[in-house]
Amino acid sequence: MRIELTEMMWFEQHAVSLAELAELTSLSAATLEELVSCGAIAPIDADDPQPRFGAAALSAARHAHRLSEDFDLDSQALPLVLGLLERIDGLELQLRELRARLPGPIR
Amino acid sequence: MKYKDYYAILGLERGASEEQIKKAYRRLARKYHPDVSKEAGAEEKFKEVAEAYQTLKDTDKRAAYDQLGAQRPGEEIRPPPDWQQHWQPSGDDAFSAEGLDLSELFERLRGGRGRGGGVHASMPGQDYEIAVPITIADAYQGTEIDLDLNMPEYDAQGQLRRVPHAFKARIPKGASDGQRLRVPGKGGKGFNGGRNGDLYLNISLRAHPLYRASGHDLYLDLPLAPWEAVLGTSVEVPTPGGPVRLKVPAATQAGRHLRLPRRGLPTPKGGQGDLFAVVLIVVPSVVSEPEAALYRQLQSASAFDPRAHFSEEGSHAH
Repeated sequence: MRIELTEMMWFEQHAVSLAELAELTSLSAATLEELVSCGAIAPIDADDPQPRFGAAALSAARHAHRLSEDFDLDSQALPLVLGLLERIDGLELQLRELRARLPGPIR
Repeated sequence: MKYKDYYAILGLERGASEEQIKKAYRRLARKYHPDVSKEAGAEEKFKEVAEAYQTLKDTDKRAAYDQLGAQRPGEEIRPPPDWQQHWQPSGDDAFSAEGLDLSELFERLRGGRGRGGGVHASMPGQDYEIAVPITIADAYQGTEIDLDLNMPEYDAQGQLRRVPHAFKARIPKGASDGQRLRVPGKGGKGFNGGRNGDLYLNISLRAHPLYRASGHDLYLDLPLAPWEAVLGTSVEVPTPGGPVRLKVPAATQAGRHLRLPRRGLPTPKGGQGDLFAVVLIVVPSVVSEPEAALYRQLQSASAFDPRAHFSEEGSHAH
């Protein structure tokens, strides 16, 4: 029997607290604070005394957990690697968008 | 359970040192990690490498694995009773290798002999991600998909096993390439009060013979005959919502983007992207003699020089 999935939400519509972020990503609050302080992840509103984090931060934090497990990265290397991967993702997205705008071969 | 040669997977001899094992893992992780490699099969290969490393880097697990002896990869093996008795986790008299695969077997040894397994600690369930390719038509109108997943879940002893699940999911209209849907609590079940993991559906758009997607906008090549581009015309253009007529102004150049507002893909918030027709001016590959005569007549009558700037701008190079 197939279970119908009803409670689905777009990942981009997320917002979680730092504690929820730690729970969802299995990263410690200290590691997350380190990632925030070096800009690898950013709260939705930097001035909010109770910062909340959107989908981009949740995605980056989950990614950070996986990278630190797979490559044994320390707290210095992790933000650097995350930043570079984010840059690659951004460039690949730009490339796909530009390719979409270019005409295809003549048929 | 099927035997895997962890040493061969890492490219090592059976007597490899800890340092050699670590170096081999690092080299192969850099080669196959999904964040680094886009090769087909890289993620599967990385999982294999990671599984081999998790076992061989741990002294107890490696000793237990070595005691299984060297077998042929893929061969069905059954650890002998004295092996199971020797390596069962401390305090777990119910330990049995029955029904486990090789990686699950060594996960059961996680606590190590005599160190206890922490069987009663609560553990959160694992998140689970699945790629969901959909067509442009699916993104335009929404779709329903069947998912058959084997998700890692904790059994009564707190050990991970793969459990099949069958789901039906409605993908709402408005999905774009790279977006993700989160289904809270539908990942792997938590253990002993731990929260359930989440299920993530990673949407990817399949290539379409006509449309190219960029976010929620679509791009479509619009071939025009030379006289259509020069004189202007009205053409029928396909869109996901049905064909529409598009006015092509006179003197339309190749590469021009003619915008059809709100004819692209829906957005999750109820809006809609645009569709852009990208002008291509195409010429017939074969013309009849009367047509060729008309083209020669046009050539004589016209003062148009598409390369006028060559002589002016080319001379500035000197």
